[in-house]
Amino acid sequence: MRDFWQWMFSPSRRGPMLIAPALIMLFVMNIFPLMWSFGLSFFHYKASSIRPPTFAGLYYYEKVLTDPVVWERMQTTALIVAMSVLLQLVIGFALAMMFEKKFPLRREILMLVLTPMMLSFVAVGVFFKLFYEPTFGLLSQAYSYFSGEPLTLLATQWGAVWGIVIADAWMWSPFVMLLVLAGLVSVPDYLYEAAEVDRASKWKRFTTVTFPYVRGLLLLALLFRTIETFKIFDVVYLITNGGPGTSTETIAVYVYRVAFQFFKTSQSSALSYILLFIVIVLTNLYLYFVKKRGEEG
Amino acid sequence: MSVLSVAGLKKSFGDIVALDGVDLAVDKGEFFALLGPSASGKTTTLRTICGIERPDQGQVMYEGQDVTHAEVRGRDIAMVFQTFALYPHLSIFDNLAYPLRQNGVSRDEVNRRVGETAEMLRLTHTLDRKPGTASGGEQQRIAIGRALVRRPGLLLLDEPLTNLDAKLRNDTRAEFKRLHRELGMTIVFATPDELEALSMGQRIGLLTDGKIVQTGTPDELYTKPKNAYVASMVGSPRVNLINATRRGADAAPSVETPFMSAEKGPWADALKAFPMGSDLYFGFRPNDIQPIGDGQTPGGPSFTARVHLTEPLGDIVILDLEAGGAELKMVLPEEQAVRYSVGDDVPVFVRVENTHVFARDTGTAIR
Repeated sequence: MRDFWQWMFSPSRRGPMLIAPALIMLFVMNIFPLMWSFGLSFFHYKASSIRPPTFAGLYYYEKVLTDPVVWERMQTTALIVAMSVLLQLVIGFALAMMFEKKFPLRREILMLVLTPMMLSFVAVGVFFKLFYEPTFGLLSQAYSYFSGEPLTLLATQWGAVWGIVIADAWMWSPFVMLLVLAGLVSVPDYLYEAAEVDRASKWKRFTTVTFPYVRGLLLLALLFRTIETFKIFDVVYLITNGGPGTSTETIAVYVYRVAFQFFKTSQSSALSYILLFIVIVLTNLYLYFVKKRGEEG
Repeated sequence: MSVLSVAGLKKSFGDIVALDGVDLAVDKGEFFALLGPSASGKTTTLRTICGIERPDQGQVMYEGQDVTHAEVRGRDIAMVFQTFALYPHLSIFDNLAYPLRQNGVSRDEVNRRVGETAEMLRLTHTLDRKPGTASGGEQQRIAIGRALVRRPGLLLLDEPLTNLDAKLRNDTRAEFKRLHRELGMTIVFATPDELEALSMGQRIGLLTDGKIVQTGTPDELYTKPKNAYVASMVGSPRVNLINATRRGADAAPSVETPFMSAEKGPWADALKAFPMGSDLYFGFRPNDIQPIGDGQTPGGPSFTARVHLTEPLGDIVILDLEAGGAELKMVLPEEQAVRYSVGDDVPVFVRVENTHVFARDTGTAIR
């Protein structure tokens, strides 16, 4: 026994020993379940029953891909992604244009504007849930001050979609702003001056000088935010929980439902891997543009 | 008739005074050089003329109109930036076409004029490429082409040769003169290099600390410098300036240095007004000092100097001399200079008709 301890704590083994706990955790909590769930997606299995898994082949993949509910959830997700990302790009761009100029308290205001990005999803979700709350929520109170009636924003399908889109855009517009701002400040002043001497109008100067510098970064922001918003779960789960009905149930929330409310473990695994595949495709697109931009610069 | 005149231009950036009353007038069709060391205000002057910068005080008149506060776009002025400022995302064709497109020129006309300009500047083979792939010389020609393509009434060039290597610089100097002759355009160019100013400029404005010190033809600046500063800025190698004192009779003044005495120069009359013993600089160009040949009578005040360095520059040689504690430079043709080596004592004389005298306190020329 003594020999074993000596062998284990010898100086040459110190490094591996120190990172071992982290690696073991990572393996047990992440890599093993990942592999296991991949395996399960090819078997009939319910996590809530004691029946042993039986082989199913591609049955669940076929089932998921032909399931009309999955396509409906995909459409809901696409709608929220499109609205939210567009809003983030517009607001982020506008903020970047504003912060490119110098004005008093610029640094302090910039810091405030960046705060939402640093908050946790849960904090943002809870915050917006309270904000939209019909009786005490700030939004409803402000609305009833003018109309005399409380506002139950999350009760209608479009109201709920907007509720999620606004929360997500509030959180992530600063991210887009940071990227665009980096592009804006990289435009050399002399190009603006040259364009002015060449008699370009303000708008022309923007489209021919400013925009080319921002274009690449804007594309990266678009891809990055699309990937992230595609996976949106926390905010939706907390604010609407997919409601009213299933009108804001995004694909990530649906996977959660299938896995942990209906306990269709195999089916949810198969769906998860299809989603993973989509994200990998988008990520590769993202990496391709990062690389292309690196070569240009 | 002067097409551009600038009066009392002042501009500060915070505590830094960039322009401190710049006055200049440029004639139509003239190639005007704005010569000055770095940070003397050349670039700010050009930027104020084209309108990117607004002056704190003063006036810019262009073609008889006050354009001091006019929009940049309203002025018929083009500028070539020191950095070239090419649009990196546009092809070279689009760079050249840019100013035309802003003015709503028709597509055929754009194609024709860009083609013409590219032809003139030998850029035709590069038109499809991006400026980033062009060589330094090509980039500079693109910048010039972009300025020329809309045929501006006035072309401003900000240190157009500074970013080029030495060989290209010589070629481009000739190129500019050719362009100026062919297009008959009014050009103002800024340069820190007196050789560029002397070789290209029809007239030169010498700028220092935000003020024009002297304006004139290269010859005027060289032979009749207004003060010691102008004399030392123009001409290479630099003028010899020796501490001297006013001596001689009241009616026949002489200039005395520790090792020679000169009289009857072009300054003789004016020097009469200065009291005996006034502190002066005695100035003469390195090619106005000559060795005295065997049996030759010196053509001016003479003295003996010791050679302590020779700088051969091909067909001419610069000899660094020392006399009475002062250092002098002498320029000789190579075949004449080979006779002298370091350590030799050489009898020399100065061509008194080409000498200058400056008051030491103000630097003002006495003539």
